[in-house]
Amino acid sequence: MWCPSMPCAGDATHTIHLPWRMEPTSGGTNASALEKDIGPEQFPINEHYFGLVNFGNTCYCNSVLQALYFCRPFRENVLSYKAQQKKKENLLTCLADLFHSIATQKKKVGVIPPKKFISRLRKENDLFDNYMQQDAHEFLNYLLNTIADILQEEKKQEKQNGKLKNGNMNEAEENNKQELTWVHEIFQGTLTNETRCLNCETVSSKDEDFLDLSVDVEQNTSITHCLRDFSNTETLCSEQKYYCETCCSKQEAQKRMRVKKLPMILALHLKRFKYMEQLHRYTKLSYRVVFPLELRLFNTSGDAVNLDRMYDLVAVVVHCGSGPNRGHYITIVKSHGFWLLFDDDIVEKIDAQAIEEFYGLTSDISKNSESGYILFYQSRE
Amino acid sequence: MLLSKMAAEGGGKEMNEIKTQFTTREGLYKLLSHSEYSRPNRVPFNSQGSNPVRVSFVNVNDQSGNGDRLCFNVGRELYFYIYKGVRKAADLSKPIDKRIYKGTQPTCHDFNHLTATAESVSLLVGFSAGQVQLIDPIKKETSKLFNEERLIDKSRVTCVKWVPGSESLFLVAHSSGNMYLYNVEHTCGTTAPHYQLLKQGENFAVHTCKSKSTRNPLLKWTVGEGALNEFAFSPDGKYLACVSQDGFLRVFNFDSVELHGTMKSYFGGLLCVCWSPDGKYIVTGGEDDLVTVWSFVDCRVIARGHGHKSWVSVVAFDPYTTSVEESDPMEFSGSDEDFQDLHFGRDRANSTQSRLSKRNSTDSRPVSVTYRFGSVGQDTQLCLWDLTEDILFPHQPLSRARTHTNVMNATSPPAGSGGANPGSNGNSITTPGNSVPPPLPRSNSLPHSAVSNAGSKSSVMDGAIASGVSKFATLSLHDRKERHHEKDHKRNHSMGHISSKSSDKLNLVTKTKTDPAKTLGTPLCPRMEDVPLLEPLICKKIAHERLTVLIFLEDCIVTACQEGFICTWARPGKVGLLSSQNQANSPSGTVV
Repeated sequence: MWCPSMPCAGDATHTIHLPWRMEPTSGGTNASALEKDIGPEQFPINEHYFGLVNFGNTCYCNSVLQALYFCRPFRENVLSYKAQQKKKENLLTCLADLFHSIATQKKKVGVIPPKKFISRLRKENDLFDNYMQQDAHEFLNYLLNTIADILQEEKKQEKQNGKLKNGNMNEAEENNKQELTWVHEIFQGTLTNETRCLNCETVSSKDEDFLDLSVDVEQNTSITHCLRDFSNTETLCSEQKYYCETCCSKQEAQKRMRVKKLPMILALHLKRFKYMEQLHRYTKLSYRVVFPLELRLFNTSGDAVNLDRMYDLVAVVVHCGSGPNRGHYITIVKSHGFWLLFDDDIVEKIDAQAIEEFYGLTSDISKNSESGYILFYQSRE
Repeated sequence: MLLSKMAAEGGGKEMNEIKTQFTTREGLYKLLSHSEYSRPNRVPFNSQGSNPVRVSFVNVNDQSGNGDRLCFNVGRELYFYIYKGVRKAADLSKPIDKRIYKGTQPTCHDFNHLTATAESVSLLVGFSAGQVQLIDPIKKETSKLFNEERLIDKSRVTCVKWVPGSESLFLVAHSSGNMYLYNVEHTCGTTAPHYQLLKQGENFAVHTCKSKSTRNPLLKWTVGEGALNEFAFSPDGKYLACVSQDGFLRVFNFDSVELHGTMKSYFGGLLCVCWSPDGKYIVTGGEDDLVTVWSFVDCRVIARGHGHKSWVSVVAFDPYTTSVEESDPMEFSGSDEDFQDLHFGRDRANSTQSRLSKRNSTDSRPVSVTYRFGSVGQDTQLCLWDLTEDILFPHQPLSRARTHTNVMNATSPPAGSGGANPGSNGNSITTPGNSVPPPLPRSNSLPHSAVSNAGSKSSVMDGAIASGVSKFATLSLHDRKERHHEKDHKRNHSMGHISSKSSDKLNLVTKTKTDPAKTLGTPLCPRMEDVPLLEPLICKKIAHERLTVLIFLEDCIVTACQEGFICTWARPGKVGLLSSQNQANSPSGTVV
């Protein structure tokens, strides 16, 4: 008995989403179908569902932008940034223009080319200046950090301008303190890294901020388990011994990492791309990792504030395909109580029960899957 | 970890090996590879995206002693076999009945235990497109179809069960969040039903079907938000526990349509629910990877259990290992086989009626009350849990060293500090068990102990519930209950008595429990640190695929996974029965 699943050619992985759609569709027929699907009465006021044109392997970008657009606090801040006075073009102004253009469309549904944003992105970072498939998580990371940098730089400028006018303030203090921006207020959490020396029992802890958490995945587990695993106690021994300040020598130690401050939006990156030593390349772990619509964290430290806050799933960036350099990204988002699937220029309403198609595969043989890659959970309070 | 996985694929040794046996304090449980049931070709079913495999048992009381029958669904197929259990190897070449469906898939099924004979059984099958079929796999007949035109509900059937004690009434839950009461004698009508509100309460409503002639459905229950994932009748058939995708457990008095109590998961949907054999406790499992133990009488969470690495798909009590010690000592018995069930024969014709077995302590530990339950999950693991006195009655000094309370919670306050007890008026409610547990020797100080022994009845149909004890503890609610049981003991569902009664008292209690976002820290959903956290007795990976079935039988445990393999695990001492006919059961279980 216990035979492994039969490896069938073409497997059960149904490919509903065509991996490459370079040619944008007009959006006309599709868009009106979506409107009909939602229904005129149910269609939320002041909400727009717009697909994004693919400019050649830019689905990594489109999928993340859609997810961020439906992270409400993020969208609101980007839109109010747009409302501020005209600035020199940067990645954030391009993003603000794009969000603004979606939010102010006359039509409720349709397609928009994020042309200015993409060309700005390609201009600013060599990594993205090509037509290669990129990693959506890397892009998310780059985007959030770039926005934070831009905002911090602007704050600094403002301060300096103000200083010139008022000519006081403690300069040293100013420069040392990194200003927190709304990007930090939304996405930043804090991890506490506790290390206990097994010789003297001294516990030292170090705090680390994060904008998203990257967690290892295992077959047939839940995101809850992956997060617990992330915080599991690890023993540092033999070559990895820890230098204990109290003992003034290398000692065996126990280390664990727990969440001390919970972010408003918890972005969880599932490490589905693993470098295989013996294959000399990355392979995709299509493991089935289930993620609930509601989430609380178990791996919090005792002194955390708000440690049992409830999160709701708001968006999932899904990777379709078998490897990091090929395949496709799509996004599912929750908006006004229903779920939508954004596949570049195509937008569809989906049933909440269809989300289970994006958990991954239970068979270890097939690598080709449509599986959740970045999860966005928003705090309820 | 990953390397080991790769190695396994290449035919090497897998670190995370699949277990074929495990040991608990009562002994060794062993997988009987020859007693594995599956599709006749034994090919693993490619299960991606299909409905869970489920198993139903029935005993047809034939004279041969081979009266057990099992039914299971795999994909779009449904099989009906003679179940030989631990006694004989499975013969997969001859299913008694096999059906393949088109356009809709079987999702769940249930036998009527009252009507089952060697010549005829009544099997209800629910389908992914909402229909319900009544079939007789022995006569190979399809007697009736319900919701055929999908006018009643178009969504997937999540749970179907005969109403306990009835030959004709059954209840069907759907992923729409609705539940319908049908009578096999009635038709479904050719138009969509019109409903009339019968009763409304906190997040639930019950409607009757408005029509000139009696038609199905008799009742429509709307419960919570999102899919209604599973329901379970209490052992005495009077109460109904429902778990939903909105994360709530809701327990109703089925006849009076009153909400008895609610509970909220720590987070995420609740997927499964079961009752303890005496009806005092309900266990749920869900998307928080936890099992949660809820006291029926006190309406509060008394423990949570963490052992699964993913969602919990089935929870079930083991009535044969659940034990209550008699106050007068019984004869000693040293052998493992004997303790299971010395004095009670199993009544398989009515498996919902289970009795607490009286367990002899084989050592001299003062074991008094232990409930055993199990859970299986999407992590492919089986967990067994013991619910011991220190958890049930935390006022008592810890009687035993082996406690399952997690060390992290060593400072957890005694239960009761978790907040006001919403069920304090629950003292008047008899636990919905159907057996008389022997007097609990040390529980007299507890609020519900006075009524815990009540509820002795000869059968589910017998409405005479009032024993002296429960009358003694009576509040107004009790009188109501007695009255309708006099009227309603035939379950004829004349609804007159329901609408006239407001569920005043209990609804007042539940009125305050509104916003699900703010339930944490309330009795509805205590904080993790406020209730004991159980650790599993055993936690074993037993399959390649998600587990979807867990059934405790007298001499074995039955599990099944999404690949369509139904496994029989012999209980301690029951393993030798098969090996005389076949070669010894190889521990690796490789025979295909």
